[in-house]
Amino acid sequence: MGGLEKKKYERGSATNYITRNKARKKLQLSLADFRRLCILKGIYPHEPKHKKKVNKGSTAPRTFYLLKDIRFLLHEPIINKFREYKVFVRKLRKAFGKGEWNAVERIKENKPGYKLDHIVKERYPTFIDALRDLDDALSMCILFATFPRTGKCHVQTIQLCRRLTVEFMHFVIASRALRKVFLSIKGIYYQAEVLGQPVTWITPYAFAHNHPTDVDYRVMATFTEFYTTLLGFISFRLYQTLNLQYPPKLEDKTDSKQQSKEEARYAMDSETYMEKLSAMSASLTRVVAPVEEDDAEMDVFPMDGSSTEQEEERQKEHQELERHKKLFEGLKFFLNREVPREPLAFVIRSFGGEVSWDRSVCIGATYNVDDTTITHQIVDRPALDKQVINRYYVQPQWVFDSVNAKLLLPVADYFPGVTLPPHLSPFVVEKEGDYIPPEKQKLLALQRGEHTVEENESEDSEEEEEEEEDSEEEEDDSDVEQNEMLKKREGRQIPEKKLNVKVTAGVMKTENRAKAAQDEKGEEKRLAIMMMKKREKYLYNKIMFGKKRKVREVNKLAAKRKAHDEAVKSERKRRKKGRTG
Amino acid sequence: MAAPGVDVLHTASFLGFEPGSLPPRVGSRRKRLNKNKKKTWKRHCPALDVEEFLEDVRLQERTAGGLVAEKPDDNLFFVDTGNEEKDLKLNKGKKKPLRIDLILQPDSKILPPKDVLAHQVPNAKKLKRQKEFQERLEKRGILPRRQRLLQAKLHRPFTKSRIPTNNQPDRDFYDIWGEANPLDSSLAGKDSWFLEQTKKRAVKRPGRLNLKPSPLPAVEVIASGGSYNPTFQSHQALLLQAHEAELKRLKQEERLERQLSFPTVDKAPTEESAFQELCQGLLEESEEEEDKTEGPEENQVEMEGTAVPQTAAGEKKTERQRKREKETRVLAVKLQAEKTVKQKQQELFQLRSIKTKVKHREEELSQRKVKRAEKRKAQAARTRRLGKLKYEAPDTEVQLSQELAGSLRTLKPEGSILKDRFKSFQKRNLIEPRERAKFKRKYKLKYTEKRAFREVTV
Repeated sequence: MGGLEKKKYERGSATNYITRNKARKKLQLSLADFRRLCILKGIYPHEPKHKKKVNKGSTAPRTFYLLKDIRFLLHEPIINKFREYKVFVRKLRKAFGKGEWNAVERIKENKPGYKLDHIVKERYPTFIDALRDLDDALSMCILFATFPRTGKCHVQTIQLCRRLTVEFMHFVIASRALRKVFLSIKGIYYQAEVLGQPVTWITPYAFAHNHPTDVDYRVMATFTEFYTTLLGFISFRLYQTLNLQYPPKLEDKTDSKQQSKEEARYAMDSETYMEKLSAMSASLTRVVAPVEEDDAEMDVFPMDGSSTEQEEERQKEHQELERHKKLFEGLKFFLNREVPREPLAFVIRSFGGEVSWDRSVCIGATYNVDDTTITHQIVDRPALDKQVINRYYVQPQWVFDSVNAKLLLPVADYFPGVTLPPHLSPFVVEKEGDYIPPEKQKLLALQRGEHTVEENESEDSEEEEEEEEDSEEEEDDSDVEQNEMLKKREGRQIPEKKLNVKVTAGVMKTENRAKAAQDEKGEEKRLAIMMMKKREKYLYNKIMFGKKRKVREVNKLAAKRKAHDEAVKSERKRRKKGRTG
Repeated sequence: MAAPGVDVLHTASFLGFEPGSLPPRVGSRRKRLNKNKKKTWKRHCPALDVEEFLEDVRLQERTAGGLVAEKPDDNLFFVDTGNEEKDLKLNKGKKKPLRIDLILQPDSKILPPKDVLAHQVPNAKKLKRQKEFQERLEKRGILPRRQRLLQAKLHRPFTKSRIPTNNQPDRDFYDIWGEANPLDSSLAGKDSWFLEQTKKRAVKRPGRLNLKPSPLPAVEVIASGGSYNPTFQSHQALLLQAHEAELKRLKQEERLERQLSFPTVDKAPTEESAFQELCQGLLEESEEEEDKTEGPEENQVEMEGTAVPQTAAGEKKTERQRKREKETRVLAVKLQAEKTVKQKQQELFQLRSIKTKVKHREEELSQRKVKRAEKRKAQAARTRRLGKLKYEAPDTEVQLSQELAGSLRTLKPEGSILKDRFKSFQKRNLIEPRERAKFKRKYKLKYTEKRAFREVTV
């Protein structure tokens, strides 16, 4: 056979990849610049399928990029800016070294800069594409906004991040887009629904900074640089969809003179507006006056596939969503100073509640503690010395749990000083047959509108309350107001319990009817099983076995829990006896 | 002896130009030369005297402005009527020019060629016409373009053009996805070919780049046990997970330590054990070999007994043998063909079993396909090896039961979100895991005690 001899590594996958160093040389960039460019342009390293072929016979681990990607990078105009910047640094250094201060000034004034707008447009050709990448952008911007301004990154970046996060939060408030909140030991997870897209992000707790050393700050700053641009454009578009003014403007209602005096005490003139905006206590102005959409009904599209049942279900869901959005509407909150102000203000405002705080805590307080129309005061200290009768004093977890449960939970479990019920993760969705912890079961029952409380549990809770009473009485017997408060609380709870009993009686009847239907269904099922083919039966048995196993496991877990609960209870009783005896 | 000869030659050459003079004979023998070639003429004809003469003429022209011999006497001589003493006195105050200036002075009396352009302007007519045209325009109040631009610059208020940077806190945003965004508006309505060729339009981004390198979500929510106030069960589950990870790490560490540790005295090898180790396998092998040698021999004997004596490789086969072999071959082929035909007929009756076989095979293949797809799906979410280092999952953040805070106020946050984000980027194959470059000093630092410090004695 004739023809040329085929040489190794001159075709196939060996020619499709390029090593990082070669790519860097091809682009004539330093490694840091190359990495920056790749992050900005969204070009990531690639692991080849056959490493040995690509690596020309060597098996040494290396970073590879696709050659076509690098060729695409060659066209990027920003590369030139990088080179210009390199020259700028060189000139500056030289002038500095020579001590030519005029030259330094002049060079500094002509510092080259660049914009990433075209890259945003290129990477996200449509708005929806950009929304899908919002999670990362938000998390990074919020994280950077909380950084101390100590030179780990540019102060300007931090300010921009802060501005953008505040703008986005205002959008969430205005569109009532928030759905879930989860307080974890790491930070606070939020989930909002923005134009039908679920957006999840995490925010750190205030003052929770430890700067890890094993993180490449330069890489993170590059990501943030891109994400700030992206988030800015997204916010602009989102504000447009709501007919809000961008940059956001606050609705000004109060008299300005008195306000400005207090503001001056809090922040400098240049910063006041931003601070007021980030307080999140006031709503934004709209370009067009909002039309009341309360009575607007959902459009109905009768389709072939969907039956009326499905449609009803959809409508029900929609109604539920509307109700969820207006969860705190009409309620007036006051935040005590020991409570994390920003997350609470954000959550309360994004469900329609009104919120204020002490004037010395932050700018933007709208009413005082002694406002009589306040319905809830958020408190996070074991005992209060002075309480007002016509408001609830609750711990902050009540707000978050209510949001997750989509209803206003009974406040009794969240009174100050009371051991809180566990804070469940709203992001965990149990499938059928999974183990559901009793706390969640209770919550689900509440959501369904049932107020059935088992005898046992109610006793239990009574006991607990007695204990609490005891303890509190022991603490301060003399306080008359406290006693009054307690009595009020009891009074509020007792009728509830009576009501519960009645409801259970009502439910029993409906259950009978349901049971008959169930029996019928069971019979049908049994017949269907009998009619099955052998192979199908085998499969069916297998599935059922799996299900039963799951149930068994669930039962085991439940038993464990019960044992644990009992152990805890007995322990508590013993301790109590010890204390009294 | 030599000097008079030279003198004679010189005078002879000088005289040679005068008409009628004959070249004198030098030397006894005449030189014989080929006269039929120009080359020899040139080589052997002495032209030095002619050149010298011409040089002299040029010098005279340069210094005196013509041949001295042809000049009238008035030009060459003058009558000195001055008083030497008086002259010296008079010229005393005058500055003497520098010698270098004198040297540099052109001493040629030949006038430089006349510069024609000194009195002529090229394109004079055209320029004149243009100027007239401009003047006419100016009268009507129309200024030339350059002046117009200068005027405009004068009237424009001085503003410093700030180069836009990306991280200005007060930067503005616009509707980038709208119809009339500034990015596209400069290109709108222009010919696409023109835009492409002049590289005004950005190169199209390959669609492959819009796929994410990993299907994992950007923000992975912590398990429900990570709540600040978790349920007992979920907290235990998370603790168990962290515990298992820790156990695994411990085990690995222990293993490493065990492998690297130096043996204790009682476990250290003695001379005897070392020797045994060296002999390992030698003694036993010899025994086994004995057994083995017995076996093959027997086999050989058997082989010899049963083997048919064959013709040696080199020996030729007889005609008869060939024929017989051929016959057997043909017969074998025939038999084989018959057998296959028969088998095919038989297979007709086996149809059912074949069908089941095919079915089984197909089922197996489909199952494999499903498995492969599943595997691929699982692989897609995997973190890839993108560089020297492997991705290492961060430790699960967990708080022990006694660390858990009862309320939000007393909560002590665990872990760092910055690290979480960074690891998430690595996990999603966006960046390769890297180690921080280690600082390496080129030279050792030298420590010296300060003198003042050294002098202090306690």
